[in-house]
Amino acid sequence: MAGANLIYGAGMLESGVTFDCSQLVIDDEIASMIKYAVGGIPVNDGTLMVEDIATVGARGDFLSMDSTLRLTRSQTQPRLIDRRVRAEWEMDGKSDMYARARAKALEIIESHRPEPLDAAIAERLRIMVADADQTIAGAAPA
Amino acid sequence: MAKRNLFAGGSRSRGLGLTLFSSEDMESIHLSTLEVLERTGVFVEADEALDIFADGGCSVDREQHVARIPPHIVEEAIAAAPPRVTLCGRDPRNDVVLEPGRVSFCTFSEGIMMIDVRTGEYRPTTKQDVADIGRLTDYLSQMDTYQISVVSRDVPTETYEIHNLQAALLNTTKPLGTGPLEPEDTRVVIDMAALVAGGMDELRERPLIYLCGCPVSPLKLTAGCTNFVIAAARAGLPALVISMAMAGGSAPVALAGTLVTHNTEVLATLVLSQLTERGSPFIYGSSTTALDLRFAAASVGSPECAMINAAVAYLAKQYRLPSFVAGA
Repeated sequence: MAGANLIYGAGMLESGVTFDCSQLVIDDEIASMIKYAVGGIPVNDGTLMVEDIATVGARGDFLSMDSTLRLTRSQTQPRLIDRRVRAEWEMDGKSDMYARARAKALEIIESHRPEPLDAAIAERLRIMVADADQTIAGAAPA
Repeated sequence: MAKRNLFAGGSRSRGLGLTLFSSEDMESIHLSTLEVLERTGVFVEADEALDIFADGGCSVDREQHVARIPPHIVEEAIAAAPPRVTLCGRDPRNDVVLEPGRVSFCTFSEGIMMIDVRTGEYRPTTKQDVADIGRLTDYLSQMDTYQISVVSRDVPTETYEIHNLQAALLNTTKPLGTGPLEPEDTRVVIDMAALVAGGMDELRERPLIYLCGCPVSPLKLTAGCTNFVIAAARAGLPALVISMAMAGGSAPVALAGTLVTHNTEVLATLVLSQLTERGSPFIYGSSTTALDLRFAAASVGSPECAMINAAVAYLAKQYRLPSFVAGA
């Protein structure tokens, strides 16, 4: 909220000694909630919605309004935080947030393939690292 | 339907905000910092850095290895550093702009233990962890940069930053934060980034890496610290200097005093960076917090840490420098 530009520490435990991939996935979701909150509440004609309020009137509801459907995605939509009531959570297997984050982390690590480096560049990198091991660390040639 | 014309004449809210200091508070912290920089000075271990301070007009005591920096040189350095720094990813869609008011998130560096995601086991970190966390960071939408999070402990100690960068480059397309300290591994790390960028000029144009490191509180710039700041300035790469003062231990116990020594350390390295190459990108960082005097442990996630981070964000904003602070 103070306007720091780069906020670090995602995935870290124990004052930065230990890393936890599940915690990283949780922190990613928390970061999205923080970004939403610091965005504040935009106030303009589109968000004051006085015409919608007049259309619904007293004692109606806003669920079926076009604007509600259109702006559904303007709400926070956490994937790990569970907002359901206890009974629904129990029927669904009672998984805790950490277990859900861990499953998600594993799924990403196993399946996400970032755009690869050019193979020739990757090979030259490998040679640079091997050279450095010999010249800087004094390791025997591989 | 009623016609609704534009709002005019008032300032519109742009989101939640927090202002810790009045401008008078800010001025007091700044002036105290200038006094410490000029009167007490900073310890500078490496001769190369002492030369740069001396050539830039600072008063240098070679015997004591102390550089004293006059206010006008500090003010010039603050004005010379760019207010906006763009960190670049291997994939340009992952570039991130740091400038006043924009909030981004990232991992942190140099962890040495790992909770194994498959087994739950608590164990030392490996090069494979650097790769796995890189892939995760690449995927997660809120993570803006990959500050290489853990140490490859299964490779030679002298070259682990080199191995780290290789694993990170192969597994992430986002900007990378790396922390080499010795001239040898710094050179290789920059060469590796230049190879991927397509050359040194291309790397200067699109810095795929930013170099990070820390002074030692209080008021000590180690050779490792000045080395990476000088190397970053010469290569046109952003330097992220993270002071890690602990109130009550390596900094005064009162938080305002802690901010003064913290600010002195960071601004001294800013001066070094700008004297090396005027206009080189610089990021104002903080891991400063309180030392819990009962346990002799850094209190991270404490009210002290939160307030210091807010204060650092404010200081950096006033200096028109991008900031980097603790979130966890």
